[in-house]
Amino acid sequence: MFRSSYWRHFDFWLLGMVILSMVFGIAMIRSAIAGNETLAELPSRQITWASLGFVVILIVAGVDYRFWGGAVKWMYFAIVLFLLLLYFIGGATFGAVRWIETGLVSIQPTELAKIVVILALAAYFARYYDEPRTWFWLLRSLLIAGGIAGFIYIQPNLSNVIVILVIWGAMAWISGLEWRQLIVILLVGLVLGVVAFFFFIEDYQQARIVTFLFPDPDARHGATYNVLQALTALGSGGWAGRGYGLGTQTQLRFMKVRHTDFIFSAIGEEFGFIGAVLVIAMIGFIIYRCLRAARLARDPLGTLISYGVAILIFFQAAVNIAVNLNLIPVTGLPLPFISYGGSGLLSLMIGIGLVESVVMRHKPLDF
Amino acid sequence: MRRTFSVRSQSWRGWIVYALMGLVFVIFVVRLFNLQILQGETWTLQAEDNRTETISIPPQRGIIYDRNGYLLARNIASYNIVITPAHLPDDQADIERIYRELSALSGMPTGFPLTDESIEAAKLLRACAPGPGIAQWVALGESNAPYDPVPVQCNVSEEVAMTVRERAVEWPGVDIAIEPVRDYPTGTLTANLIGFLGPIPAVFSDYYEELGFDLERDKLGYSGVELAMDEVLLGVPGRRVIEVDVAGQELRNLEPPVASVPGNNVVMTIDTRLQLAAEAALRTEIDSWNAYYGFNRISSGVVIAMNPQTGEILAMVQYPSYENNRLARIIPEYYYRQLVEDPRHPLLNAAISAEFPPGSVFKLSTATGALNEGVVTLSQVIEAPGELLLTERYSPTDPGNVRPFRDWIFDDNPAGFGTIDFLHCIAYSSNVCFYKLGGGYPGEIEEGLGILRLQQYARALGYDRVSGIELPGEASGLIPDPTWKRINRGENWSTGDTYIASVGQGYVLSTPLQVMLSGATIANDGIAVQPTVIREILDGEGNVLELYWNPFAHTVTSLPLEPESYQISPFVPSIRWDITTDPIIEDFLCVDGYCEPTGLFKIVEPWVVESVQRGMRLAVTEPLGTLNRDFSFQNYPIAVAGKTGTAEYCDDVALAQNRCSFGNWPTHSWTMAYAPYDNPEVIIVAFLYNGGEGGVVAAPVVRLVMDAYFEIRAIDIAQGATGP
Repeated sequence: MFRSSYWRHFDFWLLGMVILSMVFGIAMIRSAIAGNETLAELPSRQITWASLGFVVILIVAGVDYRFWGGAVKWMYFAIVLFLLLLYFIGGATFGAVRWIETGLVSIQPTELAKIVVILALAAYFARYYDEPRTWFWLLRSLLIAGGIAGFIYIQPNLSNVIVILVIWGAMAWISGLEWRQLIVILLVGLVLGVVAFFFFIEDYQQARIVTFLFPDPDARHGATYNVLQALTALGSGGWAGRGYGLGTQTQLRFMKVRHTDFIFSAIGEEFGFIGAVLVIAMIGFIIYRCLRAARLARDPLGTLISYGVAILIFFQAAVNIAVNLNLIPVTGLPLPFISYGGSGLLSLMIGIGLVESVVMRHKPLDF
Repeated sequence: MRRTFSVRSQSWRGWIVYALMGLVFVIFVVRLFNLQILQGETWTLQAEDNRTETISIPPQRGIIYDRNGYLLARNIASYNIVITPAHLPDDQADIERIYRELSALSGMPTGFPLTDESIEAAKLLRACAPGPGIAQWVALGESNAPYDPVPVQCNVSEEVAMTVRERAVEWPGVDIAIEPVRDYPTGTLTANLIGFLGPIPAVFSDYYEELGFDLERDKLGYSGVELAMDEVLLGVPGRRVIEVDVAGQELRNLEPPVASVPGNNVVMTIDTRLQLAAEAALRTEIDSWNAYYGFNRISSGVVIAMNPQTGEILAMVQYPSYENNRLARIIPEYYYRQLVEDPRHPLLNAAISAEFPPGSVFKLSTATGALNEGVVTLSQVIEAPGELLLTERYSPTDPGNVRPFRDWIFDDNPAGFGTIDFLHCIAYSSNVCFYKLGGGYPGEIEEGLGILRLQQYARALGYDRVSGIELPGEASGLIPDPTWKRINRGENWSTGDTYIASVGQGYVLSTPLQVMLSGATIANDGIAVQPTVIREILDGEGNVLELYWNPFAHTVTSLPLEPESYQISPFVPSIRWDITTDPIIEDFLCVDGYCEPTGLFKIVEPWVVESVQRGMRLAVTEPLGTLNRDFSFQNYPIAVAGKTGTAEYCDDVALAQNRCSFGNWPTHSWTMAYAPYDNPEVIIVAFLYNGGEGGVVAAPVVRLVMDAYFEIRAIDIAQGATGP
């Protein structure tokens, strides 16, 4: 499996941009700590995660993605077990049960679950690639996604449920979803969304949506205040920003969760419009390289894996940036490759590794 | 039907996804451009506003001295124990130890156990209010701004403060804050003049905030000189612009700090020694009479002393007064309510704000007018029986009612004063004589002075208008006329109204200051001086500033902006008018009691003023003169002239006792006297509410203050002082 001929097609542009993004992210996390002692260790931890991630990319890329496609059943059961475990023994952080405290680090199985969903759906859609697009075909794929999303929902973690549903929808679409099916999905989604807003989602989630739609301009704390501070940080950046480590909103800690949810605003403050657009461009480039792998892949499984990873990166980045730009209500999705967060980074690395695995094997070997 | 599918054959599906992604990124870039470039300035201002904080540096309020440099108002340090929550140790056990040790030192409760209810209760209280413990105050402050020191105990002794400072190392986070507090060494004695301070009222908050004052911390004058001279005393706050983080911790100065400029110091014309003597004389008189009657008959009183040639107020006391030191730190609700609800109005400066019927002291106006208008001549003799029957008419065709008008001597001697001349009318204060001068009497005084002409002379002596003294709340008094009565009482002016107005009764009202000013105008040969309580205003380095007072706008300016403005620093005597040279008396042509203005204005002849002076002198020297008594000025070594007054009045108390009826009225006691007769340097007025006969009750007070004045003069001269 480590035959050197495969590595000829290894996408160094993709790896390079991922590493560049992570390095930039680590630098930005260092700035965003802003003298907070309890956060002081975060850059070195992120470096550890990033190094680990680098190794993970190489290992995952080295294994043929078809192997992963075959093993996905076991992975699926393992992650469901993991999520169940989390439900019973996990520690509560910020009111929601999302972490498993191991001795050394906390692991967030949800992040891994998203990769498993991509693999499982890719394997499913590839397997029934030549079958007609019946309602049964669609329902089965939804059950695969829902089997994991359900456990994430009870954590509760609505944003990642939505991430999984979006991945499912996008992969179904690219696998040949029919228009009438799409319309029904959208209609059912709309009705469920409205019903869920009034009956099923948690109060804090409801409050976030309400404060987004009807902000209280005098709030001194809470979601509106945090968003206002983030907008202030971003807006005060101007063309070139206030300089690395010199953004007052970041350094004087007016902005909250600046190393995770609002790191994009910190970038906007310290590196300005140019920096923010460059970050968008970097992530755009990574997505482009994943989509390129999807196009080159030699079989539907490879296409669907690469495409799923691209959608995952795109959707998380888009939601995070949209929150920073106050276009949608606050959710807890990090900015891929840049925000602090070990499990999230590691999962994305597995995704990138899978994409590399696909692109490496995109054409028959030339001996 | 079996369909085959290929992503490559349906690449439009991919393109739709790429297009959506591209659209999202374009929206982001547009939004970024909008936020960062187009709205950038607004957000930058917002970010600057977040991190910058302007701190006002309090200016030292000016000091107030009396004319001899004696302190009347100063600033003293008050020590508050403060805790900065962010600087407390991390360990809860350490915090509890600090609170326990602090509590043992200062007596402040620790506040443990710290319950939510106890914190909620503390939220409702102002800082340092008794009740909550240390832990409650710290908990409150910690949730707001952990780097701002929270006062947990105010006004601790210097000893406790020093101990807290010594233990600073053991008690991190605990410190002493020094708060300047106004202190009035003379307290009650000068409270009516000096006043007190209070928080900046909401209506002025914008104005003072603009000037850089801290609305929570800085105070304004609420009454007295503290209010009138507020802009002089306040000073200019300094300012520091600092950078703070989200917790409010100060990081650095963003601009060079601007130091505050202390307020200017005010030197008053008051002589505290005379003030003390006047208060003692007033209190002794009131206490002894109330002891004699066996109940608190005399409820309040006023004494004022002034130099009639310069207008400098030397003493201005009132009973009851209030303790302005009790209002210095905060204004306690119970004490303030007690003062406001007291029917004697101790918070008002009675000398200038309270209006009373002047009674016979007002006869100076009638006398000046009658002589100047030729109603009477100096050689004319007037019959002054004990009782006079006069006809009260409301119109020329009114047949009228005949009413008895009695002289004050009637109870002792129904025959009255007999036949007397003009000067003795003043000396004896004969009511009958003044009824005739004011309202006329068939066969003797064919044409009386009349109310319109009386009003002119009363105003010329200082009645019916504010004096413009540098104190807030001055009342204007009232000299009525027919138009006033029509509007305010809905009735025609009657002949009886003129008779009683001639002796300062009826609708006539005046402040004690006005009574004194009328005497001062006569004593000073017709020159009405501007009364003043300010001698000079000094800046922080002791330089005398040139400043003017605008009595209508109540402002201090460096230039005389209005014609009424007068110089208050450095002190120069200001003349309001001179009745012997300024034609301020409107001329009337009077026939059968009805007067028409001729459009001309005239002066008061100097000999008229001099004659009134002689009449006042005779009140002291004549055996039957109203001031020639044991306890007043009988055989007084210095030539004194003066006038007494016994003013009938009716208030709620008298009405309840059914005393508001003919011959039964309660009376206020007045006396006004000046000395030396030839070259007067002091004029003193005393007023005692419900005091009774002026010459018996008020005159002894004037006598005692006069004694004190000349004693103090002798001491000053012995110590090398010159001039009055």
